[in-house]
Amino acid sequence: MTDAVPQSRYTLERPEEAIDPQSIYRDLRDNAPVVQLSGRSTTGTITISRHEDVMSALRTPDVYSSDSSAVQIGNIRPLVPLQVDPPHHSKHRKALDPLFAPKQMVKYEPRVRELIRELIDEVADQGHCNFHEAIAEPLPSTIFLELLGLPVSRVDEFLALKDGIIRPPARSLEERYEMVKATGQKIYAVLEEVVEARMAERQDDFLSTIIDAKVDGQPLSRDDVVDIGYLFFLAGLDTVSASLECIVAYLAQNPGHRQRVADDPAVIPHAIEELLRYESPVPVVPRITATETEVAGCPISAGSRITVLLGSANTDERFWDNPNEVDFDRESNKHLGFGGGVHRCLGSHLARMELRVALEEWHARVPDYRLADGLELRYSPGIRQIDNLELVW
Amino acid sequence: MRIRVDTELCQGHGRCYMLAPDLFDADDDGYSQPTVERTVGPELADQARRAFMNCPEDAIILTEETR
Repeated sequence: MTDAVPQSRYTLERPEEAIDPQSIYRDLRDNAPVVQLSGRSTTGTITISRHEDVMSALRTPDVYSSDSSAVQIGNIRPLVPLQVDPPHHSKHRKALDPLFAPKQMVKYEPRVRELIRELIDEVADQGHCNFHEAIAEPLPSTIFLELLGLPVSRVDEFLALKDGIIRPPARSLEERYEMVKATGQKIYAVLEEVVEARMAERQDDFLSTIIDAKVDGQPLSRDDVVDIGYLFFLAGLDTVSASLECIVAYLAQNPGHRQRVADDPAVIPHAIEELLRYESPVPVVPRITATETEVAGCPISAGSRITVLLGSANTDERFWDNPNEVDFDRESNKHLGFGGGVHRCLGSHLARMELRVALEEWHARVPDYRLADGLELRYSPGIRQIDNLELVW
Repeated sequence: MRIRVDTELCQGHGRCYMLAPDLFDADDDGYSQPTVERTVGPELADQARRAFMNCPEDAIILTEETR
């Protein structure tokens, strides 16, 4: 029951709402910090938008559960470790953290640099490109498939499956459910085939490492390995692409900021953190309440689906000085672009490295670029992909 | 000035070892070290403050000493 929570006119699923989400976040924080969305796939979902409330939700997983009922993404078992709550979560997380630790990422940097250079070579002399198609989508997906151990030759098929879960072309909630479920079955089939092959013969990839990982001294079950793979499949094939697109789209429209990045590569890590804050390419994380609770004086019953608005927390005037100013020299930047609490993005150090190397190489070759004339950017609702990011230089 | 990481709160965001590399390092899992309180000399006071001001989990405990 969510009767006590007021209804909002916002859906957070319409493309027109995705263009300037910062002003929607502000309206929600100021006028409806706890509210039910009214979209086809978001009806009854409660958003919380103030930094204080977002932080509190991220930090109390016993109230704000991340279990698989929080969101419909085609899986028949919980994704590991995202949809596992403490105390079991920490055991799985501990087995996976070393794979994505900063020290490991150093090893992969040369391959990322080689690939981004090849991709830039394809377009640098032509004076224009669709940045989504030419750079932002192929770079992270190729790297991720190589790391995980899935065949890169099938990248187009995998990208279509990922989109089938994250942004299915459904016209109703029922249709969405059916589409996502059918796509989920195909992802399981791909993973089961590869996991089976790796169980017979290990290779130098994440899936092989995960097969040999121990939790409480025991090897993971075959299902556990597949469930980790399912999470990686969705997380690895979308979020870095969207982040790179949001960052480059901002720079293409703000010549002062772009020039600074082009002139001084040392500023790039700070630019990444600040634009992950302001743009929040992954703007929400889903939760479901395990108990009754209260947010900003509003009672919320157990079993309520909650949309935790990271993007809004990242621009909350109650927490930030000048939140709508993009300042690469911001003295204090406690952004939640990678979430927070126990489920902080496992792949964040990989994401940062890929974003940094991509921005270094791009600006070394194409320092001066802008949006194509008359272009209206098309941000996807949810994870903020920009598939029409046409640049000219 | 004294500084330490609260391991209960640290979630491995990695902001501190990025901004204050002379004070913090990542362990093999990506979480921040050191977790034992240490004294920070004046030459690293700026790094200490930056780490403190950029931890999303407020996991860095910084104590200004008065003499």
